[in-house]
Amino acid sequence: MTDASDDPILLVHAYCDGELDPANALALERRMAADPRLAAERDRIVALKRAMTRLKPAAAPPALRGRIEREVGLRGRPAARPTWSALAASVALAVVVSAGATWSVLAPGPAAFAGDEVLGSHIRSLMAAQPYDVASSDRHTVKPWFNGRIPQSPRVVDLARDGFPLVGGRVDVIGRTPVPSLVYRYQAHLISVTQTQGLGTPPPMRTVGGYHVVGWTEGGVSYWAVSDVGEGELEKFVRLFRAAPTDG
Amino acid sequence: MSDERTRFANVVLPHLGDAYALARWLARNDSDAEDIVQEACLRAFRGIRGFGNINPRGWVLSIVRNTAYTWLKKHRDPKLVAVDNVEEVEQAGAAWDLGPASPEASLIEQADAARLEAAIAALPIEFRETLVLRDVEGLDYRTIAEVTGVPIGTVMSRLARARRRLMVELGKETA
Repeated sequence: MTDASDDPILLVHAYCDGELDPANALALERRMAADPRLAAERDRIVALKRAMTRLKPAAAPPALRGRIEREVGLRGRPAARPTWSALAASVALAVVVSAGATWSVLAPGPAAFAGDEVLGSHIRSLMAAQPYDVASSDRHTVKPWFNGRIPQSPRVVDLARDGFPLVGGRVDVIGRTPVPSLVYRYQAHLISVTQTQGLGTPPPMRTVGGYHVVGWTEGGVSYWAVSDVGEGELEKFVRLFRAAPTDG
Repeated sequence: MSDERTRFANVVLPHLGDAYALARWLARNDSDAEDIVQEACLRAFRGIRGFGNINPRGWVLSIVRNTAYTWLKKHRDPKLVAVDNVEEVEQAGAAWDLGPASPEASLIEQADAARLEAAIAALPIEFRETLVLRDVEGLDYRTIAEVTGVPIGTVMSRLARARRRLMVELGKETA
């Protein structure tokens, strides 16, 4: 063994863990018999080990096993995103599926598809460990973060004084195109603002599965604001966003 | 079914319970533990070809352990305590004293599970992982050294220090 094994206390631990060979165990037993402090330490270690057997065992939740088996393809089809919980994933799937149906009925075309994807990205982000890839309330941090990740630079505005602080940004993928999404907070709700180009003109307002999507186009860029805040709040947010001075 | 999937089912899945227990003790949180185990399993699946069939349990637990550190640093605590710091603090703290402060064995043995659990949760992560790998997962010193990437001597001193802290904590008078 190593130098550490010269320390008699460490040897007592090793003895209690069954790590000593018979010769060393015998030698230590003699030492413990002669030294009550070592014997007392042995008793404490044994007592602690006994106490630890009473800790309730942690069994892996069945849902976790199922999720892992799906991910590696041992059953069913693989989940889209590893960090989802099973429940969240099934809820999201249901919402996206129903969203797809609604959009295709109401607004066929590429914008409908982008609308599904924007909504899906927002819901997915809510279920991830955090809803953004860069966490910052400073638009001068968030805006440069997108540089190098995506070709276009998103419009980032500061609405903190109006009750909509910026909390971060992330890159979503619409079809095969990476696009910037900003995340703002309103009370306990998050608002995603996704900016796309050439993916169709968003409809002004849609409500799907409890989420509102407000869209507009400006300077060749389509904006999609998605949230579960009330319609009125989301429209107010959009008004403020459009009116806010564009940063340099 | 592909070879990888079969191997994953045979090598990794039998240790899912142990993997979850370790992740839970490291993260001190059920849902974080699930995320960590899920990520660790994906890593194990991707690396299953390179696994040489020696000590699958140790292999799985070392992946869980490394994933937990990465995950916790990223999502919970960027300054997750550095190994060196803990050792230094302990050296300075003279945790070795076997003086009158050492509680009776009977007091330790009777400590209730909730109190013990809280005391373990309060240990620095290096001590906690060593203790859990030994007394919850039942690994031998050599495997613990491999899983945590330190010499056996360090495993022994961390284990002794972890246990000493628990003894002192459990020996305190309950309010």
